[in-house]
Amino acid sequence: MRPGRLVARAILALAGFLAVFPLVWTALNALKNNVDIITRVPKVIFTPTLANVSYILGRDSVLTGLYNSAVACGVAVLIGIVLGLPAAYAVARYPNRFAGDIQFFVLSLRFLPPVAVAIPLMVIWLQLGLYDTLPALIVTYSLLTISVIMWLAIPAFQGVPKEIEEAAFVDGYGAYAVFWRIALPVAARSLIGAIAFSFVLVWNEFLIALMLSSSNAKTLPIVASELSQQGMNVPWGILNASVVLLSLPPLLFLGVLSGFLNSVFRPKKS
Amino acid sequence: MRRRSSLPVTFLVPTLAILLVLSMVPTLYAVVIALQNRELSAPGYSWVWFSNFVDLFADRRFLNAVWVSVKWEIVTVIATMVVAIGLGVLMFEVAGPRLRNFYCLLFIIPVLLPRVSAAFVWKFAYHPLYGIATYPYRLITGGLIFDPLSKPGTALFAVASVDVWQWGLFFAVIVLKLLETLPPQPIEAARLDHARRWQIHAYVTLPMLKAPLISLMFVKMIESLRSFDLIYVMTRGGPGVATETLDMYAFSQGFIESGKVSYASAMAVLMMIATVITFTMLWKRVQA
Repeated sequence: MRPGRLVARAILALAGFLAVFPLVWTALNALKNNVDIITRVPKVIFTPTLANVSYILGRDSVLTGLYNSAVACGVAVLIGIVLGLPAAYAVARYPNRFAGDIQFFVLSLRFLPPVAVAIPLMVIWLQLGLYDTLPALIVTYSLLTISVIMWLAIPAFQGVPKEIEEAAFVDGYGAYAVFWRIALPVAARSLIGAIAFSFVLVWNEFLIALMLSSSNAKTLPIVASELSQQGMNVPWGILNASVVLLSLPPLLFLGVLSGFLNSVFRPKKS
Repeated sequence: MRRRSSLPVTFLVPTLAILLVLSMVPTLYAVVIALQNRELSAPGYSWVWFSNFVDLFADRRFLNAVWVSVKWEIVTVIATMVVAIGLGVLMFEVAGPRLRNFYCLLFIIPVLLPRVSAAFVWKFAYHPLYGIATYPYRLITGGLIFDPLSKPGTALFAVASVDVWQWGLFFAVIVLKLLETLPPQPIEAARLDHARRWQIHAYVTLPMLKAPLISLMFVKMIESLRSFDLIYVMTRGGPGVATETLDMYAFSQGFIESGKVSYASAMAVLMMIATVITFTMLWKRVQA
């Protein structure tokens, strides 16, 4: 058994290393001068510089992208919360013969090819004069956030013990009061996970933003992808710095999302 | 127990109405555009009905894109599931609770990255002269060049490896959590029968998890279709058309090369029909 265990541990350690090392390396490159990046033998020891980071943070296009991403994702997630959570609660707690169909409809929105949605939307927004504006992006993202939040919140509400809600009804609470004061707070942990998940999804979204913006409404992923197309001399350090900036917001949710996974897959008490 | 309330109506109807409008308007409009001959540069258009679709089937680049998309789905879905089940089982077998938590945290990191970031990280890593992933090859061969992204034979696999890096590690966490939810009695019974560890997993635990694992594969099939960002940043469909999937080809027809919006839309509509039919059938089967 011993050598087998050893090999298994080595494989796991290697996988863990592969999971984070490319990122660590990118972060290191963000602190290097170009000469230290363009070496045939990777350099681990170098004189760090903040030039790349300050260049990135000083560029108008990056700041605008950051602002656009924050507003578009923030508002779309808010809309997703306001419309998605109550709807999920209704599906979870007031079963009717459409419940299965509603769940399937919400899921099916996820397998519409993004190009199929983005091409007509581009034409529509152009005709309405809203192409390349934040409202157009927000409306489009709302489709994503509402459906994802609904999809993940239905099981979260189903996980709330029915007895608590029944007790509240007996105490004279109305249906809406039960939702506000009982179901929401009790399911809060899972719901925050669902909301964080929808934020990460829209923050990482690329194709729709690429097709629905040309200059004003560009989000951070688009700005970052454009940095790579500057001239012949690739500004490696700057590129690495922009990758790090783009990746930071989703990583802030690491703790929330791993807690969410733990609450979804709770071991059954036998 | 529960009195009749207006809650389900007020909570559901507005949301569903908005979702329906937001999804049906672009969907139907995509079909309309596909039946016309719109171009980005020219404002006029007329109805050409099915000629875009007829042209598609005579377009060898389109047929290539279909084939690349199918290859992409097969490679990424299978590799993701193999990595996920392999690492999930390994964690379950040899890692204690604290080590499991540590690995879970590490394995979630790649999937949180925007795909644009992940694509850049690996594009640097695969750089033939300066990349960290190609360094071992340069070291062993004394400086020979290995350039996976610009060889037609390896480009698709190089891009797919990034997809598996993101999803395979993440799914390994889910497989571990699924294994943890299993009741311990059958495993102990098998152990008493002197079953080897791999036999326990192959014949006891994984069959017990068949339904959730199939759902997981279903999710991955859907997510694999959204690989545009990865391919756009890493290869732009190249070298040649070796990594040109359907969405990449639709995008370049509609926007980069010729601005043939209607032609691109016809392609998107075909994709939509194919995915909706396939996934609806699969879903009904998974649920049954």
